Amino acid sequence: MPRVQRSADVTWEGNVARGSGAITGSTGTFADLPYSLASRIEKADGKTSPEELLAAAHAACFAMGLAGELAGAGSPVEHLDVRATVTLDQVEDGSHRIVASELLARARVKEIDAETLQRLAASASAGCPFTKLIEASATVTVNATLEGDTDGD
Amino acid sequence: MATDRTANVTWNGDLMSGGGRIDTVTSGAFGSLDVDWRARSEDGQTRTSPEELIAAAHAACLSMALSNGLGQAGHAPEELKTSATVTFQPGEGITKIALQVTGKVPGMSEDDFRQAAETAKENCPVSKALASVPEISLDARLQS
Repeated sequence: MPRVQRSADVTWEGNVARGSGAITGSTGTFADLPYSLASRIEKADGKTSPEELLAAAHAACFAMGLAGELAGAGSPVEHLDVRATVTLDQVEDGSHRIVASELLARARVKEIDAETLQRLAASASAGCPFTKLIEASATVTVNATLEGDTDGD
Repeated sequence: MATDRTANVTWNGDLMSGGGRIDTVTSGAFGSLDVDWRARSEDGQTRTSPEELIAAAHAACLSMALSNGLGQAGHAPEELKTSATVTFQPGEGITKIALQVTGKVPGMSEDDFRQAAETAKENCPVSKALASVPEISLDARLQS
């Protein structure tokens, strides 16, 4: 398959503490999203951050992967809810590091047991290109449950 | 203090013919955004993809780290324009990220700007998290 390129542009004005930036994706699906240091490491206050964009990327990547795994196992998904939470933390040397991405999936899918679903979810995460990358600094965890199954709630 | 940012995605159907949506994110700053396999693996799309979101995250992170470095050196930027291009090879993964930054920075030499940009590229949290991308290139210059 041919390689695919996706771009995004950012404009930043001023210093890090009081300045701010705006983020635009090349497809035009999001444009001029404001962000700042405060929105990144304190309250979001309606503004995005690099980590929020990574959470969106990871959730989207994993959802696609799990849909593929389930179809491959003969149990195509009817409906899948995925949540990714990316954690930015201050590490010992005082710098910030992305330390975790937590994936949660809830699937409506026929003829599959909870154990198989969890195994396919782990496999989908391992196969998602973004999981492999972010593991350079973050711990990735995966939990998948069947819709209607109240275990673990 | 640790900061969490969450995104919620819904997917219906299988990979090839189904589709998904980034419904909500912590900040509420964007969404909902449709995603599907075609948008991800073919050119000329009008939907977002994980790779576009990664490009956005990396460009945003580099800009912030560079503004920090420049400020510490006594040259807070008037403006930085940064772009990131993520190359995705289906079946292989993300093979390259190309970063470009143009700065309007009073009183700074081109060499010092380039050095500061290189340091920001090495140290920003997104770069650290994506350190295993085979190639991350940087083109930094001052606005002439």
